[in-house]
Amino acid sequence: MKIMDKVKYLFFILVLASCHKLDTPPLGVIAETDVFTNANAVQAYMANVYTMLPIEDFIYEPNHGFMTGDGGRWQCFYHTDAIDGEMVGPFGGTGDAAQGFGYWPYDKIRIINVLISTLPAYAKNFTPDQVNEWLGEAYFCRAYTYFALVKRYGGVPIVRTVIDPATPIGSLQVPRNKEEDVYNFIASDLDSAFALMKDPGSSATPGIANKYAAMAYKSRAMLYAGTIAKYGATNFVDGPARQQGFAGIPAGDAAKFFQAAYDAAKLVEGHFSLYTGGYPDKVQNYVDVFLKPNNESIFLRQYSLSDPNRNNDNAGPHSWDATMTCRIMTADGLSRAYPTLDLVERFGSLDSRIVDGSGAPVRFGSRADLMQGLEPRLLATVYFPGATLRGISFDVQRGIYNTFSGSAAQEKANDLTSPNDVQNGPGTNLWLGDINAVVTGRNVIGRAGVSTSGDDLTRTGFYVRKYVDYGKPASACGLYQSGQSYIDMRYAEVLLNRAEAAMELGTADMQADALNDINLLRDRAGAVPATATLTVDTVRNERCKELAFEHQYWWDIRRWRTADQVLNQRNCYGLLPYYVASENKYIFLKQLETFKRTYTFQKLWYYEPLPGGELSKDPNLFPNNPGY
Amino acid sequence: MFLKKIYIAVGAAVALMGYSCTKADTYPGPDSAFEGNIIDSVTGKNLLTETGGLQIELRQISWTANPSPYDIPSKPDGTFEDTRIFSGHYNIIPTKGPFWPVADSTIMDIRGNTTHDFRIVPYLEIVNVTHVQAADSLVMSFQLVAPRTVGLPQILDATLFVNNTPYVGSGANIQSFYNQGSATAKINSGWNAGIAATTYRVVVYNLQPGWTYYARVGVRVNDSYKKYNLSDVVQVVMPPGK
Repeated sequence: MKIMDKVKYLFFILVLASCHKLDTPPLGVIAETDVFTNANAVQAYMANVYTMLPIEDFIYEPNHGFMTGDGGRWQCFYHTDAIDGEMVGPFGGTGDAAQGFGYWPYDKIRIINVLISTLPAYAKNFTPDQVNEWLGEAYFCRAYTYFALVKRYGGVPIVRTVIDPATPIGSLQVPRNKEEDVYNFIASDLDSAFALMKDPGSSATPGIANKYAAMAYKSRAMLYAGTIAKYGATNFVDGPARQQGFAGIPAGDAAKFFQAAYDAAKLVEGHFSLYTGGYPDKVQNYVDVFLKPNNESIFLRQYSLSDPNRNNDNAGPHSWDATMTCRIMTADGLSRAYPTLDLVERFGSLDSRIVDGSGAPVRFGSRADLMQGLEPRLLATVYFPGATLRGISFDVQRGIYNTFSGSAAQEKANDLTSPNDVQNGPGTNLWLGDINAVVTGRNVIGRAGVSTSGDDLTRTGFYVRKYVDYGKPASACGLYQSGQSYIDMRYAEVLLNRAEAAMELGTADMQADALNDINLLRDRAGAVPATATLTVDTVRNERCKELAFEHQYWWDIRRWRTADQVLNQRNCYGLLPYYVASENKYIFLKQLETFKRTYTFQKLWYYEPLPGGELSKDPNLFPNNPGY
Repeated sequence: MFLKKIYIAVGAAVALMGYSCTKADTYPGPDSAFEGNIIDSVTGKNLLTETGGLQIELRQISWTANPSPYDIPSKPDGTFEDTRIFSGHYNIIPTKGPFWPVADSTIMDIRGNTTHDFRIVPYLEIVNVTHVQAADSLVMSFQLVAPRTVGLPQILDATLFVNNTPYVGSGANIQSFYNQGSATAKINSGWNAGIAATTYRVVVYNLQPGWTYYARVGVRVNDSYKKYNLSDVVQVVMPPGK
């Protein structure tokens, strides 16, 4: 009975409580007035905005997106450049990730729009400089987010204001804007950011936008718009979205965008510079561009090793060291993406080094000898067979020849029919096998590969070196133990944007400017300087070399509209070292990478499909992109 | 007593909530079928194609004003069939294949077992096809005919596809043969009298003794989809090794 009484009383108390109207602000909700009256709170608000920025960093996956709050974010090898031929590995082909992941960040854009529309009303609480800086950062972040949209979908709805969810549904169903309008909107937001923010001088905070970062990104966005206008005019999939300007930019506007890209890049000059602090060793210097704080980094994302949500937000540590090289150099994890010979040979063909005048493979006493005299930037970008990391050699070996008398060309063809299993027994001349295979006391393959069982050892002969932290002991290279920053924009790219825009503009002055830009990069790279006969293709190839594994090449071949030619039932090659037992020498054969993947790009992928869920909510998003 | 009543009330509420889960929608399932042929209007026969060589794109306009497209892929014999289609009124067009864009879509009902044939004009026909088999190689020769030449996109290349099953085409072939440079004739040109007069020749080597291969030639133009116009499949039986 007692319990029953208590329940009765509780019941009546609750009934009575509901009669009180409490017109006081809820204590559990942080109100506008709490945020926009306090500098620390505004900073915290902005920190949230930066955390959400769609930066394609170590933990971005082209088919799953920005891995905030996802346990899969240790898998750095799910990399954009593993679908475009720079690396082979985790993806079965280009189609695995070519249609994106339904990115649709209007909730994030709303958060930015709230600040832009609300902060001015609270300006009296702060200094004008503070207000302008925050507004500038917000414009920067909004432009950044729209750029991530437009490069995927073409035209998307431009939402500049905070729309009240209680308004009639018609005004919530915002129609698509033209692709060109979105690029113009991005340019205007970045111009606002440039105008509002002050010159940070030497006190720029890493990870926070500044006025020159706005111009650096403007040069990237305008270059995209210019090339899409120029090359999309002849290579396109037709459809209503194209005819209405949602997918495609009028060719006549290309020059305007190239000029804007050039002008923006030029504004950055003098405020950032290529890193040369590690001279005279140009290999070490280039390695350190990505590992040491420097004045080349314009905008980057930082990671905290002490973040309590290690694998649940994108401020926590990443796993680049554990997942880009093999297990013998790391504490745990595994690698799955390997640079192709195709990428390596953008720096120049290796044929004359590995094949002699008679067509026979050149004999090497040591695998490392191959690296003699190669471009320092190349050696700093990929680990060659015979290179060393943390005191351990990449002892890459595909197999053992008992004797070798044939030509390299013969063996290249032979690879196409060779079984992958261990071959042994009398009369066998070539032994292939797995990591445990041993013949006459010698391992058939190296501990670092090349393996054809499993995918945690190289399939191409190479490993990624860019961003790999050589200074840490292997025991500190486990999953979620890497804290090196991801440099999303560096001055090298600004020079490349500038050079490409200049070549597209094409006047003699512009060509001279481009030549100068390219040679600044070549000098730092330790490469042979370019001559006066520069072409657009030279500049594009320089971009591929300089920005390898930086999530750029995929977007580049899309905007150049060359992806359907570059990735046309394309197989990639590896550089596979073999030991020749009778001579105690090594040879290198150019052979298909051992996954034997095929990469094909379909033209309709020049635009991703608008997400189906959004189309069903907003009929004004139609027409969808051509071919979908 | 009071507490017991609460228990009963809560129990009843839970039961009611559960009951609401059992409601099925009242829409009929995809109980219709749609099939037919894709007819080459030049030859009057089914288009020579491969699995997924083109798509029959359906939009159910009786469902919504902006229906999502639903594609039925072609079969290798130039037919298509899907036995799980919602009954309704459809806007249908053949697309993503090696033929001139179809100007007018077909508006029709699909109800029960519905059949419809589509006529298309291929970009190119492969004619005068011959094949010659040697000790370890296969040579195929052919000429190209363009049913329409004005506005024909640039012709890219012609390739000899070889597989060890009759399902052979650009999506099903032995890669090592495809990768031989001699398997592809690069054309990279707009249509001209020279192309019309040329007999193209493509070759693959290193065919294995004792195997049976299936081969056909495909040619494609630089349109939006870059699909292949194909020749008939030929069977090649290699003599056993010594």
